[in-house]
Amino acid sequence: MQSDTVIDVQNLSKKYRIGAAKKDNLRETIGGLFGARSDSQEATEFWALKDVNFTLNHGDAVGIIGKNGAGKSTLLKILSRITEPTTGRIQINGRVSSLLEVGTGFHPELTGKENIYLNGTILGMSRKEVKSKFDEIVEFSGVEKFISTPVKHYSSGMYVRLAFAVAAHLEPDILIIDEVLAVGDAEFQKKCLGKMEDVANQGRTVIFVSHNMDAVSNLCNSAIYINDGRIETISKNVDGLISKYLNNLQANGYSHGLEFRNIGFKNEIHSIDRMAIMNDDFELHQENIHFDQNINILIEGKIFQNNPALNLGVNLYNHRNDTLCWSWVKNDRNQELKKMTDLKKISLICKIPKSTLNEGSYKVEILSVLHNIKNLIKKTEGPAITFNVVGGDKGVQLNLPLKWSYK
Amino acid sequence: MATTIIDSSKKGINLNFRELYQYRDLFLTLTYRDIRVRYAQTFLGFLWALIQPLATLLIFTLIFGQAIQVDTGGVPYPVFAICGMSAWTYFSFVMSNAGNSVIGAQGMIKKIYFPRLIIPLSKAVVGFVDYAIVCVLLVLMFIFYETVPSSNIIYLPIFIILTVLSALSLGIWLSALTVRYRDFQHLVPFMVQFGVYITPIAFPSELVIERFPNWLSAFYYLNPMAGIVEGLRWSLLGGEFLHTYSYISFSIVLVLFISGLFYFRSVEKTMADIV
Repeated sequence: MQSDTVIDVQNLSKKYRIGAAKKDNLRETIGGLFGARSDSQEATEFWALKDVNFTLNHGDAVGIIGKNGAGKSTLLKILSRITEPTTGRIQINGRVSSLLEVGTGFHPELTGKENIYLNGTILGMSRKEVKSKFDEIVEFSGVEKFISTPVKHYSSGMYVRLAFAVAAHLEPDILIIDEVLAVGDAEFQKKCLGKMEDVANQGRTVIFVSHNMDAVSNLCNSAIYINDGRIETISKNVDGLISKYLNNLQANGYSHGLEFRNIGFKNEIHSIDRMAIMNDDFELHQENIHFDQNINILIEGKIFQNNPALNLGVNLYNHRNDTLCWSWVKNDRNQELKKMTDLKKISLICKIPKSTLNEGSYKVEILSVLHNIKNLIKKTEGPAITFNVVGGDKGVQLNLPLKWSYK
Repeated sequence: MATTIIDSSKKGINLNFRELYQYRDLFLTLTYRDIRVRYAQTFLGFLWALIQPLATLLIFTLIFGQAIQVDTGGVPYPVFAICGMSAWTYFSFVMSNAGNSVIGAQGMIKKIYFPRLIIPLSKAVVGFVDYAIVCVLLVLMFIFYETVPSSNIIYLPIFIILTVLSALSLGIWLSALTVRYRDFQHLVPFMVQFGVYITPIAFPSELVIERFPNWLSAFYYLNPMAGIVEGLRWSLLGGEFLHTYSYISFSIVLVLFISGLFYFRSVEKTMADIV
């Protein structure tokens, strides 16, 4: 192991049992003692990580990318010592702080001050360290006024800010961060990323898991691409690796950002091939769409059978997955759209006029129905894209053009 | 610089007391949290810690003192009963709270590393608050009934330490077992309820032992609290020295405590995966 090596991982594997785990209740354990066999002992094994090897040097900022279930979180859990590996050896030089969640251990009945101490010591600080940084933490959180109030009375924003303020004042040699940090509003996320950049610039080692490729690209000087529990590539060329990962995703019909290609939805009447969120020039929208911009939802597909009952629509959800509204092609005043089913290929645009959606996160989903006959795509089962709007009012989602006048 | 080595090929169990000591601040903070939260938003607050033993004492006095009139060797019955009850209050609190503690902290366990043993250990300190309040009640009883403590009182600390150890040993065993087998969550309240009657708290152990054959008496003292309660009463009230079988109780405490530490450490490795 070289002198500037901070983390050395060798032959790391982690096995989980899925399905009914062996001996997970007393009756079976006792049964097992007397030689009784039960069916649930034949649980299937699943390798969350398989033969992972890498070394990280002092000052590296490493992004770990890969789709859901690839093993990213398992790797972080093992590096944070939350769980032990099935095989392999890891040597870590330096003090590790892991942030898989903000506000671990927060207790609603305790005051902000008490929770700072609680959370700080849980994250590995001594009481003395917390005390010396206490004023900074409170100032960073911006909840000075409520520091003696039980946190159960905090708004969710205040709660997250306080929790992050504690985490931001850790001074580890190695910082491990999961993407759960990307909670909260856009402003808060910016603050989180800024703080992480500071840590990386101070020459500490950062290990960062995220689905936000912009953040990985900005923050990291190397990246590890994990696929099905194995390391696919390790590279210093972060942007190159990200585009490789994104190409793989699209080939498999995953959505990335504001575009969803190769959707692959198909029945005997029609298909849905692509959807995207576009601006007025029909280019993909920026990551954060401004309140003053129109939002154009593009839907592309093919028609195999001219069925006049076919109708396509979109369903709009807020961040809590409540439906805000839906809209159907053939219900539009434009009579031309009624002839949609005569076409072979369809390319539809549904426009959400500017200044309709206030700041927040939204999801748009494609629906398809044979009018009064059956649903071809049921609610919550259709292809969907999530997007963010910035600007406009906060705390309320819709800005409908209601009219005021004197009577 | 601190070096951490995670090696799956090492199979031994390391109790690692040094690491526990490094995390002493977390231990203190968690203890503080539990004490603060226990009586938060209750109208009577710490009075609850007084009301519960007082009510039990009243019932014991009515049934065992007045109705059955058990032989306490001349000691006023409430004084006799509260000696054993003080230890039982602490024991049952720590055993049940420590037993459920790891399950209760699963949110933390899945998100961050620290020696998990801190969780049940901190409950032993939390229990001292209620214990102290019952002890105040005990002192008041002695004063009220003008009972002079025996000179054996110098041995009292030994029995208090044994009480703490026995509560912790069961708490540690139960907390680790509950992670794997939730059955124990149902067993613990039953153990507490059952224990009040089989442990010689409301009556002297002779009452039971006299009618037992020898082997059954030895069996009776497998309950660690049987010997400890007797010992506490002996150090406070004097009288005949402990039954030889009491040493069975004391040995059980040590065996349970040490084996509990090892069992907990072995379960600790996979705790985050199975909790």
